[in-house]
Amino acid sequence: MALLFLRETMPVVHLSTRSRLTPLAFQLKARNSPTGCLGRRQDPLARTGLDLEQKKYLESALRVNQAGELAATLIYSAQTPPLLKSHPSLRNLMKHMYEQEAGHFSTFNHLMAKHRIRPTAMYPVWSTLAAGLGWATGVMGREASMACTEAVETEIGEHYNNQVKELLTWVEARQARGEAVGEELQGLLGVIRKCRDEELEHLDHAVENDAKEANPYELLTGVIRAGCRGAIWVSERV
Amino acid sequence: MSTFAPQAAKRLRLSLPATTRQWTCRACAQQRAAFSSTSRSSEQQTTDRKSTRDEGTTHFGFSTVAESAKASRVGAVFSSVASSYDTMNDLMSLGIHRLWKDHFVRSLNPGIRPAFAPSGEPRGQKILDVAGGTGDIALRHLDHATNINRDSHTSVIISDINPDMLAEGQKRFKQSPYNRDGRVSFLEANAEDIHTIESNSIDLYTVAFGIRNFTHKDKALREAFRVLKPGGVFACLEFTPNLSNPVLNAIYKRWSFAAIPLIGQIVAADRDSYQYLVESIERFPTQREFMGMIKEAGFLIPGERGDGQEHVGWEDLSAGIAAIHKGVKPA
Amino acid sequence: MRNILRVPPTIRPLLLHASRAPYHSYEHVQPSPYREAEREILSAGLTHVPTHGFTHEALTTGAKDVGYLEVSTNLFPKGPFELVNYYLVTQRLGLKDRIQFPSEKMGVGARVRSLVLERLRANVDSGVQPRWQEALALMSLAENIPASLRELRDLSDEIWFLAGDTAVDSSWYTKRASLAGIYAATEVYQTTDQSADFRDTEEFLDRRLEGLRTVGSAMGNTMEWVGFQGGALVNLLRSKGVRI
Repeated sequence: MALLFLRETMPVVHLSTRSRLTPLAFQLKARNSPTGCLGRRQDPLARTGLDLEQKKYLESALRVNQAGELAATLIYSAQTPPLLKSHPSLRNLMKHMYEQEAGHFSTFNHLMAKHRIRPTAMYPVWSTLAAGLGWATGVMGREASMACTEAVETEIGEHYNNQVKELLTWVEARQARGEAVGEELQGLLGVIRKCRDEELEHLDHAVENDAKEANPYELLTGVIRAGCRGAIWVSERV
Repeated sequence: MSTFAPQAAKRLRLSLPATTRQWTCRACAQQRAAFSSTSRSSEQQTTDRKSTRDEGTTHFGFSTVAESAKASRVGAVFSSVASSYDTMNDLMSLGIHRLWKDHFVRSLNPGIRPAFAPSGEPRGQKILDVAGGTGDIALRHLDHATNINRDSHTSVIISDINPDMLAEGQKRFKQSPYNRDGRVSFLEANAEDIHTIESNSIDLYTVAFGIRNFTHKDKALREAFRVLKPGGVFACLEFTPNLSNPVLNAIYKRWSFAAIPLIGQIVAADRDSYQYLVESIERFPTQREFMGMIKEAGFLIPGERGDGQEHVGWEDLSAGIAAIHKGVKPA
Repeated sequence: MRNILRVPPTIRPLLLHASRAPYHSYEHVQPSPYREAEREILSAGLTHVPTHGFTHEALTTGAKDVGYLEVSTNLFPKGPFELVNYYLVTQRLGLKDRIQFPSEKMGVGARVRSLVLERLRANVDSGVQPRWQEALALMSLAENIPASLRELRDLSDEIWFLAGDTAVDSSWYTKRASLAGIYAATEVYQTTDQSADFRDTEEFLDRRLEGLRTVGSAMGNTMEWVGFQGGALVNLLRSKGVRI
């Protein structure tokens, strides 16, 4: 099981050999570097709650997560009919994976409404692209579908893992200052952790179902992963 | 003859033969050594180093000098440029500094309209214009108060550390009606210590193109905070070290480092003073840092929001060549 | 290169992502956008609006009321527009305390209607309604348009949130945009309304909301029809043995 090896404090080495900083994480890192007299130190909010940078991080993180889960549910629901036609034995697996994704989607929808975060402006575009991707790989057959799942879940798993790491640094900073962590942050951490573990479980299922046999494997996963990264980059912003 | 020769030499940057050099009077030679920040004699540097060991140092243009020496160095610079100061400003900024100053004063809106002046109270505002030797800003304050706000009681104290600059201002105000009405007065003082002005007595404290020459800017800001009435306004017009646009910045730096000392050399026969002006702009804190210093002194920064969302606590002029900073003393 | 291509600060507020209060937290009080001194001066200034209008006089008189000087109005670089903005912000934040929905059964549409009416009533209650045209004039000045639009957007967002709308899909944008348009039109109408108790404004609002409902449901029906036909087509092709 891949997720047994996963440590929040370590980069996801077995998923991606390169330890990459997402654009958002990079931006945040750059922003948090000392900027003269307006640094974090003097921000009164830093002591009482989430500061502005953290709020902005959460805003774009949740927006990307919602967009990701929207895409995932659409990929699975578009993939299922053509796939089951040729491989009826996959019915239970597809149903299981779809239901988990639908669960994540509604969780993030709820969080977005609660915390008043706008959805990504690319919503219709992502919907179309995701459904198209799901349908196309479904038609291409079992191995291609599983390779698609593998590629998508690799990116999403890594993305969630980065978020967990970021939130954990906040929690640590807070504990080091001797403050209560707060239920909101704990809850978010729990949600993102659960999603990450389930996405990685899907990854394992995909690999068990001969994702690596897809032809051409490198090209297919490469294109899909690049697409995912692009979509994440865009959704963080608009 | 002895004064003319070195001037002409400076103008043309000729290296005079040794015999001509002997004509140069001693004082001039010393003064020249003191200004020259880029090519100082090694002798000068050793004395500097000696003094750094004993006390704190500060920057004078790009060179480091003892804190106690900065005021006198700056004093020397401005004494030497006093008579040609405004002409030079015109040449260097192509006249734009007049527009900046006009905008600066108009945005401050000095003077009290008769409708808001309750009878019984002492009328008019008390304005302190620091480093305002030539009276450029003070004249604009008084004109605005008189002509725009119909306020004939507002008065200005012009303060400057340099008597030569003050003399220029006195010359300018001699003929004006403001001088007759006693609405303008002159004060020779260091802005870091203006104890002759009592606390909580000033409505408006302005400093235009002066604060970058102060040795201790924080001390001057605290002093400004002290003399201002609660609700009084600190306002500063100053060059900025960097333009916001990097391309324009590169062009502008070229211009300022190459042309301004040259213009100084040709028009005022004083390259080193203008070299100092350019270098001192480079050493001034950025807008954000300077806003932080004003805040540190206790002022409220206009335009800043309580929830930390917007930080536009200054106004950039001409793509950020200069900036206006303001602070309000809380009541 | 990044620096050169950077959006100039003056038009940044026009962009979607800029400066909307991000991530509404429930555990910590949202800080007020105004500092103590600004709050004092501006709320004192607002009490003079019915007599002086949204002018520099109102602002200066307000500052003097709370112990500041004439020159202290330098704290507000935008002058009288700060009065307008302060009014808009405080009314938006105060909207949730002005209204209580008695029953859970009330639909989102009905709640939106009563929230808009309540917000318009605040203009009358605070006495600025006769002077509101001056405020609109200030808001429409080029340099103030970004801030005004931002405030309108935030108000629209606030109303949908208070009405209990939880949709977070593409309709999030269309809903907010159309409500912002309706609110702005109704507010302009209100400034010229001479009828008793602003009955005409209420009717005007109802007509606009009705129009939105008609267009909205027509759009919804069309989309539903397209989806149904598409699904039928796919099923037809599958029944013919096409592998899709």
